Amino acid sequence: MLTTTGRAAQDAGEHAFIDEVIARRAGRPGALLGILEDVQEHTPHKYLCSDDLRYIAARTGTPLSQIFSVVAFYALFNREPQGEHTIAICRGTACHTRGSRNLLEKLRLDFGLTADADGAQADKLTLTTRDRKFTLRTVACFGQCALAPVVELDHRICGHMNEQALAREVKALVEEKRS
Amino acid sequence: MSRIEDLSTFNDVRERGVAKLLPGVPRIAVGMGTCGRGNGAEGVYHALAERISYYGMDVQLVGTGCFGPCSEEPLVNVFIPGQPLVILRRVQASDADRILSAITTGHVPAELAWCKVEDWDHVTAHFKYGHGYPELPDWRDIPFFAGQKKIVLRNCGVINPDDIEEYIGVGGYQALYKVLIDGRPESVIEQIKAAKLRGRGGAGYLTGLKWDFMAKARDVEKYVICNADEGDPGAYMNRNEIESDPHALLEGIIIGGYVMKSTKGIIYVRSEYPLAVHRLERAIEQARQYGLLGVKILDRPFDFDIELVEGAGAFVCGEETALIASLEGQAGRPRPRPPFPAEQGLFGRPTNINNVETWYNVPPIIIKGPAWFTETGSARSAGTKVFSLVGKVRNTGLVEMPLGTPLKTFVYGIGGGGAPGRSIKAVQTGGPSGGCIPQEMFDTPVDYETLAQLGSIMGSGGMVVMDEDNCMVDVARYFIEFTHSESCGKCVPCRVGLDVSLKILDDFTTGKGTAAQLDQIVELGRMIRDTSLCGLGQSAPNPVLTTMRHFRHEFEDHMIAKRCRAGVCGSLALSPCENSCPLHMNIPRFLALLKQNRLEDAFESVVMDNPLPASTGRVCQHPCDNRCRRQTIDEAVNMREVHRFIADAIYQSDRFDALAARVVARKLPATGYRMAVAGAGPTGLTAAFYLALLGHQVTVYDGKPEAGGMLRYALPEYRLPKAVLAKEIEMIARLGVQFVFNTRIGFDLSLNDLGSSHDVVFISIGTWKESWVHLPGTELKGVMPALPLLEAVSRGEAPPLGRKVLIIGGGNAAVDAARTARRHGAEAAIVYRRERKDMPAIAEEVHAAEQEGVKIVFLAAPHRILGDGEGNVKALEVVRTRLGEYDRSGRRKPVSTGEVIRMDCDAVVLAVGETVDADFCRASGFSLTEGGTLVVDRFTLETSRPNFYAGGDVISGASNVSNAMGYGKKAARIIDERLMGAGRLAQVLPGFDYVPRAPDQLSSARRHETAVLPAAERAQSVEEVAIGLSAACALEEARRCLHCDARG
Repeated sequence: MLTTTGRAAQDAGEHAFIDEVIARRAGRPGALLGILEDVQEHTPHKYLCSDDLRYIAARTGTPLSQIFSVVAFYALFNREPQGEHTIAICRGTACHTRGSRNLLEKLRLDFGLTADADGAQADKLTLTTRDRKFTLRTVACFGQCALAPVVELDHRICGHMNEQALAREVKALVEEKRS
Repeated sequence: MSRIEDLSTFNDVRERGVAKLLPGVPRIAVGMGTCGRGNGAEGVYHALAERISYYGMDVQLVGTGCFGPCSEEPLVNVFIPGQPLVILRRVQASDADRILSAITTGHVPAELAWCKVEDWDHVTAHFKYGHGYPELPDWRDIPFFAGQKKIVLRNCGVINPDDIEEYIGVGGYQALYKVLIDGRPESVIEQIKAAKLRGRGGAGYLTGLKWDFMAKARDVEKYVICNADEGDPGAYMNRNEIESDPHALLEGIIIGGYVMKSTKGIIYVRSEYPLAVHRLERAIEQARQYGLLGVKILDRPFDFDIELVEGAGAFVCGEETALIASLEGQAGRPRPRPPFPAEQGLFGRPTNINNVETWYNVPPIIIKGPAWFTETGSARSAGTKVFSLVGKVRNTGLVEMPLGTPLKTFVYGIGGGGAPGRSIKAVQTGGPSGGCIPQEMFDTPVDYETLAQLGSIMGSGGMVVMDEDNCMVDVARYFIEFTHSESCGKCVPCRVGLDVSLKILDDFTTGKGTAAQLDQIVELGRMIRDTSLCGLGQSAPNPVLTTMRHFRHEFEDHMIAKRCRAGVCGSLALSPCENSCPLHMNIPRFLALLKQNRLEDAFESVVMDNPLPASTGRVCQHPCDNRCRRQTIDEAVNMREVHRFIADAIYQSDRFDALAARVVARKLPATGYRMAVAGAGPTGLTAAFYLALLGHQVTVYDGKPEAGGMLRYALPEYRLPKAVLAKEIEMIARLGVQFVFNTRIGFDLSLNDLGSSHDVVFISIGTWKESWVHLPGTELKGVMPALPLLEAVSRGEAPPLGRKVLIIGGGNAAVDAARTARRHGAEAAIVYRRERKDMPAIAEEVHAAEQEGVKIVFLAAPHRILGDGEGNVKALEVVRTRLGEYDRSGRRKPVSTGEVIRMDCDAVVLAVGETVDADFCRASGFSLTEGGTLVVDRFTLETSRPNFYAGGDVISGASNVSNAMGYGKKAARIIDERLMGAGRLAQVLPGFDYVPRAPDQLSSARRHETAVLPAAERAQSVEEVAIGLSAACALEEARRCLHCDARG
């Protein structure tokens, strides 16, 4: 638990960072996207909390409704804390024709992420395990089609995946962190 | 580093760049695009750097972009002064020493060298490397590069993308220099117009016209935007272009800024492309340092700068008005046009947006002129287009081809065709906005208009090849799911229409689709196309509309037969193997029962799915192997041999009677219906088995003295012993099936007579007529068709073969005839006009034949047969063939080379295929196809005469035993269902207490093959060649099964 002063100090640090980002980007084309991207990347769990969004709204003079609309619209932005490791399954055409859906279903089974919050079996998804160890997400296309099917594990692209190889990579991810 | 302000400083930089590209020391360039990195290029680079410094070598090491052939990555190119540039492929870090030691002796490592480049056309400059390495092919002679013309990709994979001086060294920024010195922007627009350059983002609008509108717009601020939000799944050409040659993009945009009188450029790039973003950042920084961006560019009165904006993962932002909204800090929702961006764009100012690849074409057009540009491509589509060729082809990668190139050049020429044993079905172009073009239309030239006529679009250049393992209903669903989740939701047709479309497609992929829905989805698709607000919605129905147009039969299969032939739609199949089996055997179940040591249950499971298991266990073409998921680990489970083992174990034991009784006990009470089956081959026997089980009274008629058809009379004893077949037929007879032999239908007994004495007639007469070859000399003594030869041998006769036999053909009959000839003491050679991989015969049989001393002469077609004075065969003349164009089957057509070879022989066997002897059918009033087979409804198998059904080779043409039996089983199910008003087959099939689940202990063993007699021994005898699996091996094979039938 953070103490009140601890949290205040953390907020102050975060706000200073946000101020710096806004100063660098404000007034330029694509400013809001850039600010949100930078802030999310700077946050430990790679997500945008409501406090930060309110602060950005106040400092940039943008209506909060517009900021929420933008955050909800783009797939890149997360409103929930992300897992320690991120596994992104490419759902591009080449990967689909080479069996990426099976990889996705296998990991959902392994991680116990079989149903979405709304119970839908949507293919475009971002799901985090309860213990926040893994975030499983889909990506429209990495543009790595010649390596299909492609999975990205913590920003490392792995091509020509199959279920066995993927299980090995996931295991290695956990062990790497431990050692 | 210096700011370029005049011609002399420009030339200084250029000379420095040339010196880097053609140094006095060896230069090694590692392909460091994302594809190269994904295959380990960074490791290669670091290993080379480390070894170069360790040896203290004077070698220049750089990173370069991507040369195109992704499936050969990592690529490295090596230049030794005075020698050609050599492309090395599939280089690993451990190759570093080998490469460097070769270089020190003035060579390149032969085992890695792929091809050479003696001179390179950068379009804006021409480089001569040198001549040499006569043993290496020129890069243009490699099939992947043949016919490619690199205008957009002119520098990719050759220069270092992080070094502006190298770009200037190959003539970069020269076009910009020229435009600024000339100072006549309107003439540049005229040049772009004259070049007929069209937007490469997909829509194909004329770039010159767009620039003209924008140039004429008056405002204090105007924006020039590069759309690098490449979102089409399956397309990555823009990523590669930016990663490999970022300055060429900047140059195009700066020129655009000048002629359209703008001072602000923006590149909107996908954030999923981090390397592209990084390289662009560096390139922009360098361009500023050299005075090519910023104020007073090249010391002329022109200020211009470029900003980089990263998108945030929204496909719709590729649409220009959505992209503008995104840049303005809004959700990326499009707005109606007009006003067009050229009038009111970003922040309400005039704005021009072009795709990445469009910009790359600008500098070459300025340097070489519009007339040069229009030399390439077709009349209305000038220039080239870069395509990403991916999916089910051998060679994948980025290819740049003149517009108008036929699709088959991409798939078969550059792509090298499909994987072995898989036939290609379609190419998907244009991503979610495009469509699927079927294999029959691969002659189609790829340009804007022709693709649009077929209901597809060029799009950004994605080309995904699909083969028989891809389900077109699933593909349609996949794209609708994509556009459905990427729809911005602003307009109703797109938001709601795609949602409804997706639900309908879900129904089809789960077998719940209806005929009304088939019409509904087309109508809905047209409505969405005509009424949506932006390009996303307007083009979203294309994948559905094109698959409905070209692959309607697949929708019908899902709807009527509840089958997904490709085995993709999971809820329509037990497992991939079951789905591929014409008899739909529950393969995982019998494997599991065997594993549980329940041999008798396993046998019952097998025999109730397939009444001739010992026969199919020996001679089936085993399509299941091709689909087995175990292949992703090592090799397919040997399912054919396991079911043979199970059948043999029971047939050879004293439990046969007991198990036969178990099968007979499953028979339903008599229905009183009388069935005639015409033909006692595998089709007829299978139909008789199931019809009798269902309680019908069945009589099988055949012209031969015994049952079995081709299994008995065409398959040699050494492949399928007659005793084994007899046991299987006995099982069928025990169900009460009557046989009438020596009675030829249509001769001894007419079909009309059969029809009047039976309720239903099932015709399964097979293909017994050998196709004749029209050659001079076929009338000679010693020329014989394969089937009568095999049949005579099966009756125990010794055929007059002589000492040397030549067999013409490449199918199983040709191989059987050759091996039979060997067993009669003759030398045998097969003459086949194509290559080994094209032979329709089972590969294991071909291999066994060669072991037994059969020779195979490939690429040879019969020319004429020569006789001696007495009318006996003495030789065959063959003409050597070479492989030409690809035909409809995706195989290359043999073409005569004119070279004739004489081969002496005593006999010639013709085994070029069998056809239906259908004269009697025609006489009885049945409709026949052009190919001479009986016409039936493909879902009910009913012929043009009511109550007459047909199946097997008589409707499909010569095929194989399991396909034939599949028809027999299907016919019995349908005939019974139609007579009795309900499907009853499930009632007779046994249920076992078997719950599919993933195996606890998966065997790590490799595939077990059947033991065979030694080749020397078997050429002398008719003993069965394949001995089968031992009990231990069969069990181990069963334990290799991954149990795809288990449901999570």
